[in-house]
Amino acid sequence: MNRNLKLSLVLGVVVLMAMPSVAQKTPSSMVAAYDSLATIILSVPQAEEDLVRAMLDGHYRGAKALMKQGRYDEAAAEMALFANEGDNAIAGIRKRLVEGGHHHNAAGEEQGIYEEGYVLVTREAKKEMLASSTAMRQAKDDVAREAAWKEFAAFAEETLAE
Amino acid sequence: MQRLIVWVAVTIPTIASGSSPPYFVDIAAEAGVVAPTWCGRDDKPHILESNGTGLGLVDYDADGDLDLYLVNGWRLDGAEIAERGRDVLYRNEGQGRFLDVTEKSGLGSDAWGSGLATGDANGDGLIDLFVTNFGTDVLYLNRGDGTFEEHPDSPNLEGWSAGAVFFDSDGDGDEDLYVGGYIECTLEEVLTEKPSLVWEGLDVMLGPFGLEGLGNKYFRNEGGGRFEEATEEAGLEDVGLFYTFGILAADLDGDLDLDIYAANDSNPNYLYSNDGGVFQEVGLWSGAALDEGGAAQAGMGLAAGDVESDGLVDLLVTNFQQDMSTLYRNLGDMIFEDVTRSVQLGGPTFSMLSWGTTLSDLDQDGDLDIFVANGHIYPQADLVADKVGGGFRQANLLLVDQGGTLIDVSSDAGPGLAVKEVSHGLAVGDIDFDGDLDLAISNVDEPPTLLRNDTRQPGSYLLVDAPLALRVEAVHGDDRWIRHRVIGGSFLSVNDPRFHFGFGEKRRLESLTLIWPDGFRRRLLDVPVSHALKIER
Repeated sequence: MNRNLKLSLVLGVVVLMAMPSVAQKTPSSMVAAYDSLATIILSVPQAEEDLVRAMLDGHYRGAKALMKQGRYDEAAAEMALFANEGDNAIAGIRKRLVEGGHHHNAAGEEQGIYEEGYVLVTREAKKEMLASSTAMRQAKDDVAREAAWKEFAAFAEETLAE
Repeated sequence: MQRLIVWVAVTIPTIASGSSPPYFVDIAAEAGVVAPTWCGRDDKPHILESNGTGLGLVDYDADGDLDLYLVNGWRLDGAEIAERGRDVLYRNEGQGRFLDVTEKSGLGSDAWGSGLATGDANGDGLIDLFVTNFGTDVLYLNRGDGTFEEHPDSPNLEGWSAGAVFFDSDGDGDEDLYVGGYIECTLEEVLTEKPSLVWEGLDVMLGPFGLEGLGNKYFRNEGGGRFEEATEEAGLEDVGLFYTFGILAADLDGDLDLDIYAANDSNPNYLYSNDGGVFQEVGLWSGAALDEGGAAQAGMGLAAGDVESDGLVDLLVTNFQQDMSTLYRNLGDMIFEDVTRSVQLGGPTFSMLSWGTTLSDLDQDGDLDIFVANGHIYPQADLVADKVGGGFRQANLLLVDQGGTLIDVSSDAGPGLAVKEVSHGLAVGDIDFDGDLDLAISNVDEPPTLLRNDTRQPGSYLLVDAPLALRVEAVHGDDRWIRHRVIGGSFLSVNDPRFHFGFGEKRRLESLTLIWPDGFRRRLLDVPVSHALKIER
């Protein structure tokens, strides 16, 4: 039995047990329970956003540290992970959510702003940050590397700040 | 251990003064390779019917030539099973003839077959066969007398399994097994499916989107042919339950162990970096999971090879129609860059739906060429062929490397390249002892194509049989050629395991160096070319 079904059954039993035989005002305990549940439901998208932001922040800091160490190819890889909003494990979770009908930015997806299931990184930011990652890999000197990093960092900070 | 070098001069042809474009002739019918490989109904309402089957060039009887194993599916008629196609084993009889020895060998499974992997599962020195199926996978143990027996407790994915590779993941001397899963579905669903997806205004099969992926599994060889599933322990989890097709094992970071690369249909590809038998999935981090635009492609088949002879294994992935096959250049340290556009691979591959592939020196001029097996998944593609660039049956593709740019020479490469089928599996090897590479191709609902390489003036060559060696480096003056051990790849198929080199006009090599996983090196000096060479440690 899946978790949603279990939860629905439990809530159903609670409602039936608490329901008086004659229709009247909803008992306050039931209102309070539903209110608490509403708070939880409404906080889920924010929690998802916070989690993805923390993950992206990790990739940004990782890329920064690798830049300082002169490990430019690896920094470029971290930049690509930021652009792709995580690695394959995260992509797998995103796929499961989308297939389950959850789209964090449903309206944004319809308008072509976000790719399916993406939470923070817009299509445009993804494209630009991937281009920066490629530029970083291809950079022949510090000037080119600095330009690629600046371009990426601008989009990354904008994404993290939203 | 006694170190023994055996030089075997198999053929000593006249060394060519150069090399000419590859030329292929289909000899399947005259060779006796006539068994069709089935895949469902004509109109392909279920995605299983789009899979096709793999094949392998395998010297199962250790007589020195390559035999041919065909994996077979089922033929359906409406909701009925019309024929359970049986796998077929053809023994290479020489003189361009193959003999069906399926019955005699104890093989001939009538499961709905998918792909093939070969390896020595029980450490007896004989080549065993692992057949992935829609259903139960089967490991056939080689008895050494030309016959096989089913392993009583075969590793098994149960469901629609696809690519698989035997490889020594942990350096303990035995061969472990990694098996890819495509999607979860039942036979009842297959039999009752109706087209439910609209593509180009036509009703076609559904999937893979909206269907649940079947998880890949890793089976650790505990010795003596006993396998234990250890997917999580080894770090080889299918983290996204992606739709895996082709799988290969190769040393992608040069640390002398075998890493795993998996082509995922419509999802990012996996790259598992091996560190002493424990793997980490680094696909997206590495740059080899998506195309240069950050998009997941419909990964079908795979090839690997050292395109620039820089010591690093590059990766090739075939994809869906109206998308390009993708070449990832290895920059070292597990970092890859999509160079599809710069080598001009995009144009020739864009209009085809591509499957099995190889990076091999087919004209023996010293660099790696690309062959791609093509065919659509929707028979309905014939109705919009002009619009989408190709119908259900498609010609295969041959690209030769000319100074770092890929040139499409398909139309000049002989009648073998004019064959139009729904080609999926591709196995590469020298079937006729002339030193060049021939191609075996499986076709959906038709017999295979067997392309004999009749290149008129091939360059000189070397075929190196060095079991378990990871890398072979040939040097002549400033020129260097490197070939790497690549296990699996293509599409659900098995290639000749020998290292094949082409050298153009070179007649001798200054040196040939072989490297094994423990770092052991063997160096041969002043090596004549155009020979088959067996080197045992």
